Amino acid sequence: MRLTPDQLWSFYEWFIPQQGLLQGISLAITLAILGLLVSYLVAMVRLGPGEGFYAVAKVISDLIRFDIPGTRSSRLWAIAKLSFMEAIRRKVLVVFVIFIILCMFAGWLLDLRTDHPAQLYITFVLSSTNMLVLLLGLFISAFSLPADIKNRTIYTIVTKPVRATEIVVGRIFGFSLIGSMILAALGLFSYVFVVRGLNHTHEITTISQDGRQGKTEVAARHDHVFKLGEDGNGYTEEAKGHQHTITAVQLDNKTKYVVGPPTGELTAKVPIYGRLTFTDRSGNVGEGLNVGYMSEYRKYVAGGSLSSAKWQFERVRESDFREGNESDDDIELTIEMNIEAFRSFKGDIVTPVRGSIILRSPDESIESQRIYFLVKESVDRKLISRTISGFRNNQPATLDVFKDIVMNEKLEVIVRCEDSQQYLGMGASDLTLQAKERSFAWNFAKGYISIWLQMVIVICFGVMYSTFLSGPVAMVATLATLSLGLFGDIIDRYFKVEYSGGGPIESIIRMPTQKGVMIDLDLGNVALEKVIHNIDYAIMYGVSSLKGVFPNFSRLGTSDFIVYGVDLFDGLLLRHCAITFGFFLLTSLVGYFFVKTREMAA
Amino acid sequence: MSVDTQAPASAPSSVAGNAASDVVIETRGLSKIYRDFWGRKKVHALKSLDVEVKKGEIFGLLGPNGSGKSTTIKLILGLLFPSAGRAFVFGKEASEVTKNERIGYLPEESYLYKFLNAEETLDFYGRLFDMPAPVRRERSEQLIQMVGLHRARRRQLKEYSKGMTRRIGLAQALINEPDLLVLDEPTTGLDPIGSREMKDLILKLREQGKTILMCSHQLADVQDVCDRIAILHQGELKELGRVDSLLKVRDVTEVHARGLTEDAKREIAEVIKRHGGELMQIDNPTVTMEELFLESIRESDARPGRRAGS
Repeated sequence: MRLTPDQLWSFYEWFIPQQGLLQGISLAITLAILGLLVSYLVAMVRLGPGEGFYAVAKVISDLIRFDIPGTRSSRLWAIAKLSFMEAIRRKVLVVFVIFIILCMFAGWLLDLRTDHPAQLYITFVLSSTNMLVLLLGLFISAFSLPADIKNRTIYTIVTKPVRATEIVVGRIFGFSLIGSMILAALGLFSYVFVVRGLNHTHEITTISQDGRQGKTEVAARHDHVFKLGEDGNGYTEEAKGHQHTITAVQLDNKTKYVVGPPTGELTAKVPIYGRLTFTDRSGNVGEGLNVGYMSEYRKYVAGGSLSSAKWQFERVRESDFREGNESDDDIELTIEMNIEAFRSFKGDIVTPVRGSIILRSPDESIESQRIYFLVKESVDRKLISRTISGFRNNQPATLDVFKDIVMNEKLEVIVRCEDSQQYLGMGASDLTLQAKERSFAWNFAKGYISIWLQMVIVICFGVMYSTFLSGPVAMVATLATLSLGLFGDIIDRYFKVEYSGGGPIESIIRMPTQKGVMIDLDLGNVALEKVIHNIDYAIMYGVSSLKGVFPNFSRLGTSDFIVYGVDLFDGLLLRHCAITFGFFLLTSLVGYFFVKTREMAA
Repeated sequence: MSVDTQAPASAPSSVAGNAASDVVIETRGLSKIYRDFWGRKKVHALKSLDVEVKKGEIFGLLGPNGSGKSTTIKLILGLLFPSAGRAFVFGKEASEVTKNERIGYLPEESYLYKFLNAEETLDFYGRLFDMPAPVRRERSEQLIQMVGLHRARRRQLKEYSKGMTRRIGLAQALINEPDLLVLDEPTTGLDPIGSREMKDLILKLREQGKTILMCSHQLADVQDVCDRIAILHQGELKELGRVDSLLKVRDVTEVHARGLTEDAKREIAEVIKRHGGELMQIDNPTVTMEELFLESIRESDARPGRRAGS
């Protein structure tokens, strides 16, 4: 799982230093100015310049003087409850049935031969829930108000002392409520589906004569080899992302081995990410080497030199590494690495490339001895006991990792390649400290909270569009917003980086004429080609600009965290909550203006 | 007719002075032009309407289809915005939401949520007035009893007949004990008994001091209950005044007497002739069809099993 640097920001970092709040405010001001300008132009055409100005000013004044102060919770609840009942009447609960049917046939859809069945199961439930719930939000929100206007039931609402704010916000609340209920049910069902679906055990088929090692039978399309201790207890080797405990039980003077349920596949690891910098062969600060790969994610350090990768970690607290009731002496520092080796010569192909780790205090006065490791080129865990040998002011010393090396909750980890002329490749998230794991169930719930936030945004936009568009058009507009949010990054990339092959118009011409993207669009008319190019550019520029205003659903999605067993950062979730709240305010305000200025009986 | 008012142009009569403070609805030069998407004029639905509806009266809007009755009501309720002129309700602009606190509205076809039952409907509309739960419950109960839907209170409105729908529509319009009741075709879809009950209720509400604005195609209904009427045609106000005054034929005299002999009738005819009058008709009066129907139903209730001719 690769993270972008911004995902690692705490909520405060994002909100203030990284200008999340400022960006939100500037976006709101820009949209407000644009909205007022458009409103005034429309009002001016309808009523003339003076009356038009008065009409727009009156709406703003009404909002501040009457409608916000006059908004009552009982009316909001009445409209929310009505929307809820309306959604039930539209048989939205059928979504739950569809999901259950999907799960029933999951065996056909899921390839359990995969190396990580847990990831497959979680991906399946999260992505299907996400899609179902977003579509649900889209359908229930886009059609409600237009239906009320068409059936004229809105007459009996707006002739009561109901504020436009209540009509818009009440609907958002109501639809969010029904969506939440369905999502909670789907979440609960998904959790049981995942846990029960992955739960299995094995019988032991072969065991050595000394009773210290053996193999299990095949179950759930895999088996395990295992080693046991002198007491007959132990663990299986890892297979398909999990292990089993094996316990020896005496039964009728015979030793029976009981294989426990799988462990280690449903996790919520808490990685602590650090800031990565490199030094060059001379030990000076550099950028790391490029060994010729296209991807710039990983940079390389050269073996047998002073070239190194240095991670600077913050918020390293002893208490975060305590597992269960561990005593202080037993606390270990867990480092998880996923380092790639690049061999400049084949050498001994069986022996992995060697690397080393040094733990160093931020002031560089205290550091551990080199801790050597063999590069696995897959996820590897290193447990470092808290008492290690090292150097204090270049003098040999016995050090306590948490008391001596970690200073002010800061720690540096330096990785070097020990084999001359070989290279180790590393990216920012390739080395993490692993704090004690959190509850998988809670992490799973956080994944669903993330889906809920996306659903609320879709509902907000659906309700907003429905205040001025007919049902089907509002649905298409919401769908377009959703698509832009899901695929906006791709559009953006094509626009800003990979513009070869042109935009939509050029693509329409290229497809039937079978012209590949790498050749020029030769239509025999330079002027026409220029016009097409400019129109495409304008379209792409427009879409790319719109993307900045609409929610980026691909960035709001957090399913990777749950799938890869990483605890979803509270700061990230909180940031998504703030973004959702911002969109709620924005869409409510736009919806308010349209309801307020719309002739309901026209 | 109150075309001119003494109040300043910017302030409605209802707030201009004590003399005019009993004006509940006031329109001034109220006009409505329906336009198409491109802003081109489609219909001039209402042309400079000036009317006042005073506190405690039943005011009727009459006119053929497309005359501007419903447009007037929608403008007064704020469902439409005027193209020119202004409408005031309780001295507030028609577009102001707060005026709705004192208004009850029965639309032409009781546009209600069909998936709710009677109790849920009244509870929902009660909440829109921010009424506390005990008050809502009590008021709903009273209204359900009043409109005679106590046996159907738990049935969804989609199962209701048209008459029942009108009755629950009326109940929702009364949930807030409004000072002004706006009724759009209140007797449409009701059988003669329901229609009579509706008219009796309208009169009873007037006795309670409420103001009623209604529009109807049923001229007899309007004549039965309205104190004043306005007749609209092609968006223009054609007549405005008290019903009894407008209907009075001033050069014709009507005498009702009981127990006259043929000789007495002849003598009356001679007296009329002697005074230079023209005898237009001397005959026995007839009852209205409504009176005949209601009498027949009353009789049937009093003597079940009796058949015509027995």
